[in-house]
Amino acid sequence: MGGKRVILVRNRKPTDRVPGVVLAFLVLALAGCNGGTVDRHALKRDAENVASLASEGGLLADDVSRGRSTRYFVRVHAKELSSKASNLQDALAERPTSPGITSDVRKLSKLAGKVSRELERLHLHPTDRGVAVSLKQPLSDDADAADKLAK
Amino acid sequence: MKIFKVALGILAAIGGFVDIGDLVFNVAAGATFGYQLLWVVVIGVVGIIVYSEMCGRVAAVSGKAVFDAVRERVGFKAGLGALVSAQVVNLMTLAAEIGGLAICLQLLSGLPYPLLILIAGAGLLVVVWFVAFEWVERIFGYGGLCMLVFAVAAVKLHPAWGAVGHGFVPHMETQSPVLYAYFAVGLLGAAMTPYEVYFYSSGGVEERWGPKDLGLNKVNAMIGYGLGGFLSFALMIVGGALFLGQGIEPEFLGTIALGAEVPLGQIGLLLGLVGILFAVSGAAIDTLFSGAYNLAQFLGWEWGRYRHPRGAPKFTVTWLVLLVLALGVVMSGVDPVQLTEYAVIFSAVALPLTYIPIFLVANDRTYMREYTNGPIANAVGIVYLVVIMVIAVSAVPLMILTNVGQN
Repeated sequence: MGGKRVILVRNRKPTDRVPGVVLAFLVLALAGCNGGTVDRHALKRDAENVASLASEGGLLADDVSRGRSTRYFVRVHAKELSSKASNLQDALAERPTSPGITSDVRKLSKLAGKVSRELERLHLHPTDRGVAVSLKQPLSDDADAADKLAK
Repeated sequence: MKIFKVALGILAAIGGFVDIGDLVFNVAAGATFGYQLLWVVVIGVVGIIVYSEMCGRVAAVSGKAVFDAVRERVGFKAGLGALVSAQVVNLMTLAAEIGGLAICLQLLSGLPYPLLILIAGAGLLVVVWFVAFEWVERIFGYGGLCMLVFAVAAVKLHPAWGAVGHGFVPHMETQSPVLYAYFAVGLLGAAMTPYEVYFYSSGGVEERWGPKDLGLNKVNAMIGYGLGGFLSFALMIVGGALFLGQGIEPEFLGTIALGAEVPLGQIGLLLGLVGILFAVSGAAIDTLFSGAYNLAQFLGWEWGRYRHPRGAPKFTVTWLVLLVLALGVVMSGVDPVQLTEYAVIFSAVALPLTYIPIFLVANDRTYMREYTNGPIANAVGIVYLVVIMVIAVSAVPLMILTNVGQN
């Protein structure tokens, strides 16, 4: 598919580039969709994503616990991270899986849900150092657990 | 007094160098490959210096901006292709910058994102309409200097300086060469993004540069972009030193700001956010004008940011329409960071359509008289044209193969 696209674009005159660009954009948008069957590669990729969200949440929680962040930044950014984790949870819970990895996919879905809830707490308590301290270790553990699923 | 003026211009250029494409690609490249791709930034910065100097020289000697030259040199039909692709990329970039501006405002204020998109659009409109352009340039350029906090953050994160130095030597230590190539193309596309040269050359024509200003053109291009590239290094080092080891993939502007917060606390966070705010606002204004410049120059309309809107009505209507369209794109719910990636990759595809006409005109004696390219400018220019062609051909396949840098 990629090779064909190159040839198509190369053979076109400059005036014909608009449909080519639009078509490429659509192809890419479709390629980026989060649908389809979860195979080993997708599982690894999503597990790395969950680990990334948990690690970043851990950094944010650490800064909040030391009074090094601001209320609005934590509220907004924690919500962004939480929403992303929640989307992953939903996608992993619903999508069909390749044989032999169903249990790991559902485990990762639950883990993404846990990370989402922890980040949601940070979003709701952006200046509460106690809450932030209580979230540091769980988020770090979640990142480790997701890393294991990625391997 | 002249030196002072030059210094002010350079400061504004440094602050105005980084846009949302540089932010996203430099930090993501650092988080994915550490410091391995620093050499690509050097290549991109040298490229933008070479071609900005060339188009500034063309503007100073012939009084022609980029799209004047495009229409005259490649003809109406082919020129129209260049115009359409430039405008599509401009609109995507403008929408991404406005989205980035709204996200920054949200991270600072906590207000709802849709409301902030409208506030960002209204703010840009008020600034462009009512503030004298030289002040617009200075305000956003100097405000963008807050981005230097990322240089301090990079030092405070204690990167392995040996590895940083090694990053300036081309090498590849990865099992993902396709992803490495995707980031290299993205970094080059972000550093050499076409709207910068549209804006630069049109500015030269508007400020009535003549042959006596060629020295100023050279200094502006070399020092302004050169030092601006320093910010790109800092962003990549922050990505490598902070995010790579923790396995964090920066997908949000907030993650980039976190890169200043972790080593420097609240003050780092606030300076980082304010710097990003000014940088993306300045880039939004540049992109807005670039779109209007391109169309007006191509169709032979009156144009100019220094003119009163009534003095160049079609030019004014063009940038107003572009602003409304970009706001519509952002309001549709598109993620500005993802849009940035598409904009940078498609701008890489459009690079030859911008840079080849500049190169041709810079070599045309009827335009340039004794100021045509010398052998060094030609040699470097040709090398870059080859690089640009390779980037243009490989950008979309690499984007597909890596699922927009995800694999």
